[in-house]
Amino acid sequence: MKLLTFTRSLATQAAKLPNIKTFKIYRWNPDTPEIKPTMKSYQLDLNQTGPMVLDALLKIKNEQDPTLTLRRSCREGICGSCAMNIGGRNTLACLCKIDTDSKKDLKIYPLPHMYIVRDLVPDLTHFYKQYKSIKPYLQIDESKLPERENIQSVEDRAKLDGLYECILCACCSTSCPSYWWNQQEYLGPAVLMQAYRWMIDSRDTATNLRKEMLQNSMSLYRCHTIMNCSKTCPKGLNPGGAIAEIKKSMAFD
Amino acid sequence: MLARNTFSRLGLGLGVRSPIASFSRSIFTVKATPAEENSILVAQRKNRPVSPHLQIYEKQLTAVFSALHRITGVGLAVGFYAVTVSYAAGIVDSASLLSLYSSIPVAGQYALKALASFPFAFHAWNGVRHLIWDAGHEANIKGVYRTGYAVLGLTIVSALALLFA
Amino acid sequence: MFAPGIRSTKSLTSSINISIAKRGLFKTIPQPPGNIIGTVNDAYVPPPSNKLHGSAHWTFERFVTIGMAPLIISPFITGTAPLDSAMAGLLLYHCYAGFQSCIIDYIPKRVYGSLHTAAMLLLTFGTFVAGYGVYKIENEEKDGVFGLLKKLWVN
Repeated sequence: MKLLTFTRSLATQAAKLPNIKTFKIYRWNPDTPEIKPTMKSYQLDLNQTGPMVLDALLKIKNEQDPTLTLRRSCREGICGSCAMNIGGRNTLACLCKIDTDSKKDLKIYPLPHMYIVRDLVPDLTHFYKQYKSIKPYLQIDESKLPERENIQSVEDRAKLDGLYECILCACCSTSCPSYWWNQQEYLGPAVLMQAYRWMIDSRDTATNLRKEMLQNSMSLYRCHTIMNCSKTCPKGLNPGGAIAEIKKSMAFD
Repeated sequence: MLARNTFSRLGLGLGVRSPIASFSRSIFTVKATPAEENSILVAQRKNRPVSPHLQIYEKQLTAVFSALHRITGVGLAVGFYAVTVSYAAGIVDSASLLSLYSSIPVAGQYALKALASFPFAFHAWNGVRHLIWDAGHEANIKGVYRTGYAVLGLTIVSALALLFA
Repeated sequence: MFAPGIRSTKSLTSSINISIAKRGLFKTIPQPPGNIIGTVNDAYVPPPSNKLHGSAHWTFERFVTIGMAPLIISPFITGTAPLDSAMAGLLLYHCYAGFQSCIIDYIPKRVYGSLHTAAMLLLTFGTFVAGYGVYKIENEEKDGVFGLLKKLWVN
């Protein structure tokens, strides 16, 4: 009985000890463009911080440095705003647990190989322009329009599972070395997976046009099946597999 | 002073000055046409740095195997081109190649063989892995790792077998 | 604002230096700021459609590679000239396609312009010379390219 009380008292004591972890965060300020990007260190007591990296970032912003800039919105992994490179991997800060080992520093960078607006905010303009180029909406021949509902079978609908869930956070595209070197012309995994999502939609009649757009050496065929995209996807989707399916379906076009 | 500024910034106008005067003092607006706005944006884009990439990204099996596939492929292809081009140019023939090779000490011969057999075995097996993906199989993270470890094992075994063949 | 507790990491500064060195070594085509062409509402415009650079190229490359897989045994059954020539020919194209892919990836036309074209021409020329080398070996050596390789290997 004595032993039990001893261990219990120890546990409560340990919980009170501060667990200080260092966060190293990429900083760059557009008002002073001549100063190169730097890594700034912040220290947080993990016992006073929420479990996720986004909690830590907001705590730093609220209590230590209000100039720290980041995008965030939903804090539950559905908006895709807080995509960033945490500990070497692209993920959503709101879905990424802080490693409680306080001996290891946590490095936080913006999404890799992107133009930086400020601190952890990358410019996603080109990414969105690429998304727009694949016409991410239903295209139907007027003649094939049904009189009433545009019905899709259960099986055809099931083909869209694992594709429609993408939130366009750009984690996968910015984890892809091919996208790093040639993002101006290569569409990248996120946009290509959405291209595939509309190609295999049974209601869409523009499949051939969608494929035609990819018939060049850059848009699709810069994909070398590296698979960093599927490895990093915070929603557990498989863009690499979707691209492999596009290539396969276009093989004898 | 501080308090009054704070209030005036909030537009509460509790200071001595009239509310409108304090409000207009703390907010500056610049009139700009869309074209001018765009030129400001372009000027800002010119300053933007590119975020770090290869150096900071975690080295994981996916990217490392892909990089090795390319490096081994380029290495072997350079070797193939070097021998065939110098043969075409008449710099070497089979006799001179053989005598050149025999002049290397045995340890060096094995080193040279290892330098060829390991990249060759890796590139060949990983090439098969790529063909499996292109056929629409194993192209998911589970499959990538399963086939990745298989390639690693097959590479070591077959490269050693080649080396001592 | 950036005063205390800041240090510039090595990796960050080195990446900047590399980009400057690259610009100094080769003349590159200036890129639109932030990669953005047109307004934020204009869609990205893909390169013109050409199946020879798209699916046909990809499929041909796969067929060559699939063809090489069984022929890998050719060094073990030396003395069969057609097998050896087939393997050497497929290997030559495989190398060519691989180098081509590297050039498109690392010396893109968009940035390097004429340098990209020059690299492609050099590769094509080199491949023809290597092809002549293969032809010469097939004619002059009894056991062909892989027979020669085998001779060296088991020497």
